[in-house]
Parts: sequence; C-alpha cells; structure tokens
Amino acid sequence: MKVLWLGDIDSRDPAHVGGKVANLSQLAAEYRVPPGFCLPASVLDHASHGQFPSPLCRALADAYDALAAQSGHAMPPVAVRSSAADEDGSTDSFAGQHATYLNIRGMDALVDAVQRCWASARTAQALDYRRQRGLATENIRLAVLIQHLIVADVSAVAFSTNPVTGNRNEIVINANWGLGESIVGGLVTPDTYIADKLDLGRIKHQIAAKRRMTVAYGDGTREVDVPRSLCAKPALTVAQVRAIAHLAQSLEQRMGWPVDVECAYRADHLYLLQCRPITTLAMPAMALPHEQPVVRAA
Amino acid sequence: MNATLSAQPIPTPPDFSVTWERAEDALLFWQPDPLHFPEPMHPLEFDCAARGFACGFNGAAEANDVPIRAQLRRINSYFFQCFHPPMVPHEELMAMAQRFEQRAGALMGRLGERWNSEQLPEIQRNLAAMRSFDLQGASLTDLIKHWDRTVAFVERTWYIHFDLALPMLLAMSMFNDMYADLFGAENALDAYRLLQGFDNKSLETDRALWALSRTARTIPFVREVLTWSAEHEVVPLLEKRADGQAFLRDLHAFLAEYGRRSDTFAIIGVPSWIEDPTPVIKNLRDYVNRDDYDAMAEMQRLAAEREQLIAETRERLHGYPQPVVGQFEFFLKAAQEATVLQEDHNFWLDQRSLYEVRCVALEFGRRFAEAGVIGQADDVFYLTIDEVRQTAETLPWMDRQQRVAERKAEMDHFRHIMPPAAVGTPPPEAPPDNPLFRAITRFFGGPIEPASEPHMLRGNAGSAGVVRGVAKVVRSLAEASKLRQGDILVTATTAPPWTPLFATAAAIVTDAGGILSHCAVIAREYRIPAVVGTGMATTLIRDGQIIEVDGGAGIVRLVDEL
Repeated sequence: MKVLWLGDIDSRDPAHVGGKVANLSQLAAEYRVPPGFCLPASVLDHASHGQFPSPLCRALADAYDALAAQSGHAMPPVAVRSSAADEDGSTDSFAGQHATYLNIRGMDALVDAVQRCWASARTAQALDYRRQRGLATENIRLAVLIQHLIVADVSAVAFSTNPVTGNRNEIVINANWGLGESIVGGLVTPDTYIADKLDLGRIKHQIAAKRRMTVAYGDGTREVDVPRSLCAKPALTVAQVRAIAHLAQSLEQRMGWPVDVECAYRADHLYLLQCRPITTLAMPAMALPHEQPVVRAA
Repeated sequence: MNATLSAQPIPTPPDFSVTWERAEDALLFWQPDPLHFPEPMHPLEFDCAARGFACGFNGAAEANDVPIRAQLRRINSYFFQCFHPPMVPHEELMAMAQRFEQRAGALMGRLGERWNSEQLPEIQRNLAAMRSFDLQGASLTDLIKHWDRTVAFVERTWYIHFDLALPMLLAMSMFNDMYADLFGAENALDAYRLLQGFDNKSLETDRALWALSRTARTIPFVREVLTWSAEHEVVPLLEKRADGQAFLRDLHAFLAEYGRRSDTFAIIGVPSWIEDPTPVIKNLRDYVNRDDYDAMAEMQRLAAEREQLIAETRERLHGYPQPVVGQFEFFLKAAQEATVLQEDHNFWLDQRSLYEVRCVALEFGRRFAEAGVIGQADDVFYLTIDEVRQTAETLPWMDRQQRVAERKAEMDHFRHIMPPAAVGTPPPEAPPDNPLFRAITRFFGGPIEPASEPHMLRGNAGSAGVVRGVAKVVRSLAEASKLRQGDILVTATTAPPWTPLFATAAAIVTDAGGILSHCAVIAREYRIPAVVGTGMATTLIRDGQIIEVDGGAGIVRLVDEL
C-alpha cells in the first residue's frame, strides 16, 4: 500500500485522486507547491467507517515521516483536505462542503483528521449538495490530500478573470493576513486588488479594515483580531500583487481556462495552494466592496 | 444640539472664578495637571514651563509632524494646559497625521539609540556648560547674560524632553494596544509584565539610598541617632563625632549624585535634597532597622520572570503572520526602552537639568535680597523670567517686595482650594480615538467610571495585586514619616523622589495618573498594588482608615465603612 506524492505521474488522474490533487500535481514541478501526498480514493475505500487497517496507518506514518524529513520539522503542521473525483470540476466547486483540517501535527491527530475528512463527504449536508446538483450519492470517490501547511503571513485568492463582471482583462485578488480561511469563509471583507492583464503594473485597490484573521494556533486554527495597527494596512505590497497576478495569468495560460487560485506568502515566498476553474462568473461570496465598487458596471 | 450645548462655557466654582487675560482663552478647554503639579506653582517655575512648552512641546511636535499643540496658563496660581490640534486647514492636518504615522514608527524604533547616542550626551554637555559657570564669582552683567543662556537651556531641556516623551509614551501605549488586540483587554496589566525588571535611574537612586542605610546600620552611633532623634537633629548630632562625620561624607556623596531633585515635579521653586536632606534622613530612619534586602536580586527575579513570559508569548504567536509577530516585537522593544526612559528622562531633564535653573535663580535671589528689593533669596521664585532680568538690570532700584507679597498671598490662598477639573469651554468634539490621544489618556489617566457600590473608589489599574492595610494620607514628603511598613500610601501624585517610600508602602493610591504614569511604572517594579487617578482619594480616605486596594481592577474599598 502506498501513498501518492504531489508531482508523481500517478497522482495526475482526477478519477483516482480527485480534481484538486490532480491539478496541483500537474503544477508541482513548475510552481512552488508545498510538498504533500494523497491517499487515493481506492485506498480509502478499503477502510471501513472509523477504522484504518494497519498497512494504511503504516503508509501514512511513513509518508508523514518523509514530509517531516523534507520540512525539517519533527512534527510538521499539515493541512488535510478532501479531493473528490467530481470536486473542483468546472461546474461544481464544492466550496465549503467538505471538511478541511489545518495545522494538524503528529500521527494521532493526522489519522483522526483523515478519517473525519473522508467521512465529511458523506454528511447529510454534503449529500444534499450532491443531490441538488445531480451528482452521485453512492460510491463517492474521495481522496484525501495531506500537505505541509504554509503558516501564511498573507493569504490570497486570485481570479484570472473578473468573476463579478466577467471582464477577461482583469485579475481580481482578495487578500488578508494569516491563513486563507478568513477569505474563503467570508470572515472579513478582505483587501481587493484588480490588476490589468495587459499591464500588470496597473493596479486598482480597495484596502479594507481587516478586523479578523485566521491563524494557526495550538493543534488547529483560531479566528483572532487583527492588531489595530495592521487592520488598515495593505496586506500585499505592489510587488506581491504583481507576482500573484502574474501567477494567475500564467496558470490560466497553462490550464487553458480561467482559474480560481489560492495562494499564500510566507517570508516573501509565494506558494500555490490550489488551482481550479472559475465555476461561476457571478459568485455572491466574492468579497467586492459594496459601498464603493472598485469596478463600475460598464 | 450637542454642539450648541457644548459651546457653553464651563461654570466655575465660586472659590475659583477665572479672570481671562486674553479673551480668546475663554473659548479653549483648560485642564489642570494634578499628576505633575497638584500644588500652586511659583510664577518663575510656571514661566519656565510655559517657555519650555512653547519651544519644547510645540517645537518637538512641529519637528516630528505630531498633530497636536499645547498651551499653558497659570490660572489662580495653578498650572493649566490645553491640548488642541494645530491651527491649520483640515487637509493639512490630515496630511500631517499621515506623516506622523511614518515618523512615529522611525522615532519609536530608535528610542534607546537616540537617547544614548544623541539626547543624553547633549544633556550632559549642556549640564556641564551650565555648571562650569561661576555663579557666585560672576559680575552682575555676566550673571544677566547667563540668565539668557539659562532660559535657552530651559527651552532646550524641554525640547529634548518632548522630542523623547511623545514617542516614548506612544510606544508604551501602542504596545498596550497591540497586547490587548492579540490577547484580550481584560488584564491590561499583563502586558506590562513583559516590560518589568529593567534598571532605571529611579531604582538606582533607591538602591543607593538603601545602601546608605546598610552603612548606617553597621555604625552603632549612626544607627542610634537615626532611630531615636528628630529628623532636624540628625545632621547636627552626627557632626559631633568622627564616625558620624564619616557617615555624613557618605551622605553628601549620595546627595551630590542623587540629590539634585526636589520632592515634587516642580524643581525650580522647591528646595532640593542637597539644600534640605530631610526626606533622605526620613527614609534612612525608616530603612535602618530593617533586615537586609537585595534589590538587585529582586530586579533579576523580575527580569527572569519577564523573559519567561516573553518566551511564552512568542510561543503563543508561533502560528501568527510574520507582519503581526514583527509588529509585536517592534513594540515590545520600543516599550521596554520607553519604560526605562520614562524614569531616566525625568532624572536627567526634569530633575538634574532644571535644578541648575534653580541654582541660577537663587543666585539672583541672594543678590536681590542683599540689595533689599526682595525679603529673602527664595522670594525670587515669585518673579517671572523677565522680571528677574529687569530687577537685575536696575538693581537696586526696582523694589519687588509688594509684588512678591501679593503673589505669595495668592498662592497661600489657593493652596487650600482644589482647582476644578476644567475651565474655559469644552471642545466642540470629543478627542479623536487615535494612538496619540490614547497614549496621553493612559499617561494622565482617563475618565473614571463611577463606583458601583458604596464605600468604593474607582481609579485606573496601575499595578496588580490585592492588599488590605492602614491608609496614610501623605500630602508631601514632609509628612512621609507617618508611613509605616505595611501601610497604604494615599497621595495626590508621586514624583520620582517619592519612590524610596515604595519600599515601605504595601500599596499606593493616587488622585492623579494613568497606567503609564511614573507612579504606576515604579509600583510595578516594586511589585506593590497601585490604583492611580482616583480623582479624590486624598479627599475621601481618612488617615488610619482600613482600606483594600485591588490594583488590577483599579478599585479601592473603604473596609471599615462596610
């Protein structure tokens, strides 16, 4: 029994490892993707509810040790995310449907997180979501991704096409301090930066008063106040906005479709955390400021 | 509606009616400063402060783009101040506030470095220049020229004072904000435990005084005299014997180094410890029969505890974004440096430097008294800066006795009248909630919530801990001998020369001050509970009453009334 590492040729088949892992695997060689591995759906399907057979545990432990060796931490913090075969497709984002566990340290916590992540695809809520979209509710193929957690200084979500107006010449970036959960979970109104795809130096911005953020804390995460001296400061420098815009643009070209990218800065390194198609061009959760629209409808 | 209401002048109490020298002053909002100057102030002392603020506060504020200005008035012999935004158009004010944000960061980041490499060396140079002038030997003409240099020295002293003090207070206050944002505001004092255990000039002075008491303890004659004689008899008795004289030499060496301070924040008009060492004798008397106590070891214990707490705090911040951790570390360092400078600037500027001004003024006073234009040398403090010069230039023709008598009478009259909390007209709007105003509020003390129970007083939390004991209301260091070990010191405010009493008191309650005030800073170093800025402790608490002080909550309970 073995795990599949991001970047491996075997971990590029969405049917086997899910869309998220397949996409990241494709990109791992060219972009700075935090190291990680996945337990493919076929492996997890052998596990009965709540109990992992010992070969699976051993494989998980070996892989976690390898991650520890790579990262130089004895107990590296990891993110445990789902990667369903039909997730991150171009029509259904599954955003927020499957549980994600961040800042998991040590084998016991890891096994627990993997089990809960796997089970989360079968919750009543997740099944409802599937039913509403006409997706299978039996034989759900769910892989679990275990990836070194980037303890982010700033996290960002970037769209290579303006998802509100549909303007293909605009890259829209949302950013906040700390882990990306505060942005994707709608905890705060993040900063919004809009870069012109034809000239990445042309940036419009709307700096928000970012009062809350998500940080890695203890064995998990925590929502905390942003110190008031940082609330109204831009989370990204101009150079960082440009680098993220460049990343989104390059991923759009590479993938051949408009991308929705999650990325993070830690100590001036930009990490690519997720890349998926923009599933809708009118996302209500997209946090563009209401009072003072940066982009005015043409 | 509110604006119309608030434009009404504040009614003055019948015993404190105000005559405005300038009509426009009636439209401004003036507050006394009971933290520094709870007593009426000599005209010369006030005049020096007014020159100092005009040049120092406003000059340093202007140089650093600080969007605030100060004016002073002496109203019914009390010190009153008015803080207001600079009189510039709104857009310019906004632009200034933005520039200040940048500038403040740079200043806070270099507090200790600027002090050590620029400010302290300049203070020491200026002091050396002042002390090199032969006051007694100078001709009157040269002395008058020296008076102008002295005034320039006052202005420069206050400039350095505020060039330092504004970023210093801001650093401590912004660290407080940062800590509250990160870990909650319930236990405001926890933040200050990360700043404890650093040495400063106040603690150094206290240790030197304690060391002197250890010397006295080893000499039976000195110990006996200190234990049994009245304070004013101590020095004459010691002079009678060789072992007593040897001890007096140690006392004078101590005074030469640490005695250029008076009992109050007002240095110019009040005798220094060198002139009247009674406060030192009182403290020695109190200390001499006490068991040995290792202040250095206590400080090291506080420092070790601080480092432990800092390590724990860093651990808590482990998963936080680096910009947050970076800001925390920045403010921690700045606030640590600021805490030391809070005391050291006082020692070098407010005490040592302004003491030199007193010496110069007293030399004029000596000559004026000799010429008969004033009754005695220290009557000179009832004159203004210009009056001193005019009197000297026309000596012996300008008789000042009448003027001195009138001003003395005014000060004596108002000494027993508490100035109101404000006079003039309330500002049209509440002060903005920005870091600078928060710092000023934390220094002077903010408005106090009314007490929620009978027989209870509220103030600002100054230093944590709960203590019950006998209250001793001490209005000046002259009354300090009634304070016995374990008593609770109740006073209007504590100037740095009061800190030796912190080793005797079990807790402290003051009328004036906030969490950043000198009293609170030193109480934390002595690890005794303090409630500061109650507004009325010295009025409501009676001598000998049993009270309970909860420093962390900022509450005093009058136990025997319950």
